[in-house]
Amino acid sequence: MSVGAGLERPQVVSHVQQGLSYTVFDCKWVPRSARLLCLGSAARGTGLIQLYELHGARLELLREIEKPKPIKCGTFGATSLQQRYLATGDFDGNLNIWNLEAPEIPVYSVKGHKEIINSIDGVGGLGIGEGAPEIVTGSRDGTVKVWDPRQKDTPVANMEPVQGESKRDCWTVAFGNAYNQEERVVCAGYDNGDIKLFDLKTMSLRWETNIKNGVCSVEFDRKDINMNKLVATSLEGKFHVFDLRTQHPTKGFASVSEKAQKSTIWQVRHLPQNRDIFMTSGGSGSLHLWKYEYPAQRSKKDSEGSEMGVAGSVNLLQNVTLSTQPISSLDWSPDKKGLCVCGAFDQTVRVLIVTKLNKI
Amino acid sequence: MPVWLRESSWRQTLTAVYLELPLRGARATPANIFCGEQYLKVSIPPFLFEAILYAPIDDTNSTAKIENGNIFFTLYKKEPAIWDSLTLANADKEKLQHLRENAVLKAHEKAKEETEAKKITKQEHKKYALEATMKLEEAERKRIEDLKEKERQKVAKELELWKKQQKDADKYESIQKKRELHQEIKPLKERKNEKMNKTRIPNEGTSKTKLKSTKGCHGSSSMFSQNLKEEQLPAPRSAATIKVNFTPRVFPTALRESRVAEEEEWLHKQAEARRVINSDLSELEDLKEEEKNPDWLKDKGNKMFAMGNYLGAVNAYNLAVRLNNKLPLLYLNRAACHLKLRNLHKAIEDSSKALELLTPPVPDNENARVKAHVRRGTAFCQLELYTEGLQDYEAALKINPKNKNIEEDAEKIRHLIQGTMQSS
Repeated sequence: MSVGAGLERPQVVSHVQQGLSYTVFDCKWVPRSARLLCLGSAARGTGLIQLYELHGARLELLREIEKPKPIKCGTFGATSLQQRYLATGDFDGNLNIWNLEAPEIPVYSVKGHKEIINSIDGVGGLGIGEGAPEIVTGSRDGTVKVWDPRQKDTPVANMEPVQGESKRDCWTVAFGNAYNQEERVVCAGYDNGDIKLFDLKTMSLRWETNIKNGVCSVEFDRKDINMNKLVATSLEGKFHVFDLRTQHPTKGFASVSEKAQKSTIWQVRHLPQNRDIFMTSGGSGSLHLWKYEYPAQRSKKDSEGSEMGVAGSVNLLQNVTLSTQPISSLDWSPDKKGLCVCGAFDQTVRVLIVTKLNKI
Repeated sequence: MPVWLRESSWRQTLTAVYLELPLRGARATPANIFCGEQYLKVSIPPFLFEAILYAPIDDTNSTAKIENGNIFFTLYKKEPAIWDSLTLANADKEKLQHLRENAVLKAHEKAKEETEAKKITKQEHKKYALEATMKLEEAERKRIEDLKEKERQKVAKELELWKKQQKDADKYESIQKKRELHQEIKPLKERKNEKMNKTRIPNEGTSKTKLKSTKGCHGSSSMFSQNLKEEQLPAPRSAATIKVNFTPRVFPTALRESRVAEEEEWLHKQAEARRVINSDLSELEDLKEEEKNPDWLKDKGNKMFAMGNYLGAVNAYNLAVRLNNKLPLLYLNRAACHLKLRNLHKAIEDSSKALELLTPPVPDNENARVKAHVRRGTAFCQLELYTEGLQDYEAALKINPKNKNIEEDAEKIRHLIQGTMQSS
């Protein structure tokens, strides 16, 4: 680090640290506000949703909602900015959408899966992108289901293992390519290292690959553009960045992979304001901030004349260790550049600010 | 024998002695000169000059200059006096020797002291350097900390500012919304009346529109508000299923759990074993094609074992082993046959060979290893070597702790051992 004129690299400043009395699995900013949500599981086996507001150097608890089953994940991705309904997946396989002003009865509820919903994502809401609002859930029962909040009980798309095939846990799901009303793509990562890309317009499998280690988190750099990049993180400290603009008929997408640390990389999150910067959180309680550099030419012709992509390179901008326990969830604020919240298994939630992102 | 240098010339003052020594062409370096308190030696092989001085001199301050093939000594006397001669005249051999040794010793001690003094100063210097660097580093650290603090404060301020902005924006928005709502309700009411009129007239029209809206939304609150919204959003997708296949794996363990190296080795071995054909061509010519295939022979052997024809089975396995002696299963099955035939020693041999071939130990060959241990254990017990038998049973239990039969048999053997020990 050049220590010449001040600190030139982006710094990760820990702004607030809040100890919690329960295990937090997911934390999310409430869009258009300085409020954040923590979702988790209390010691007595019930689910908790806590709403905090950022006041100066501390978090003030505004509301606490208790639910019968522990909650694993949540998203605001499929609601409008006025409603701001939270969609959650819990340990029992239930998908619920809550109105936080009146949380006693869910706005939408379905027992979507037989086992815990590991991951959830929403698209079509918050004024981002076009098309119908949809929610995708990935579960330990090996299926990935897409739901429309206007349609009760049955999913609008179901990606399930072939009859008789032994199922693999789906650990993560993400929406992408939602640049117009019809196009949409779901990416799912499984515990055996499979990554599958499903096209919802043609209802088919568009691409699949295996990265050898279980896939902990996948995310597109933007949900609402023509699919550009996908980052997939896995166990044993590796993550892969796929360039999705050029698909080769046999080789698929070009990728670059990086080994960040020895422990699992739990989450990857792209900065909403700059799609080439992303943060990965690790099992050793560390956060790494990365920047992707595009290559001079993003695609080239191979020996048979078909186009194949060229992967760029990834640079580490900063890394910081905040905790001794894994940081399992991470969320950037869509409203303030550089503001993010992370929740770790040491029962603390931390609000961080990453500085100097304008200068990158 | 050294060549003595004797052509020295000297003169003296009260405090010093000046000695000039021509070197006869030899070249001198400081290493060749040795000077003690009362002893002076110049040794340039093969030349040698030695002098026991009349009186002690101060050897630290005395100098020697090497120039033009001569050495000029300037020796400062310890006690100012006039010397009768340069060297001690009445020096007998012993005294000479003694003096020489003393001089050498003294020189050694001096050297030692010097090195120690050097060491001490060196250490002190090091300590000082260390402290200095530590101070520098502390200063550096502090500077960085300060910079970070500043950043933190700056950022906190920005955040507060942004929050305020948010709050204000929110308030503004809510006020706007209220105003808009008021405005909207009026035209909405008008439109509602219009639509009501339209739907009453054409009946077909109504059913169609009704179908459309019900298809699009289940459980909607009012058909009217939904219509407005649906103008912006497409209908939900028609449900479909995509079937997926998962990447097959030879071993269903995650990468970090698998003992990939060992498993690879095992697979490799198996593959190789199948390929090995150690055959004795002359004998095999009169065998049919199938009979040259060790797998086929193994199957034959298995069938005969099942029917009770143990000798036949042994023959089949023997032939198979001659063809390919790397398949562990052949030995394993042959051991079972020998057990039935009560060829206990052969059973033990075969089980041992099978176990040898079943390395490295992986989950894949667990069953085979359990069987091998059990068979060998049984053979030992039937030979009344109960301790060895028990060892094998315990090994089998270790691989597969859930097998009740093995447990019970192991218990029985333990009892037997205890029984025999008590009685003997």
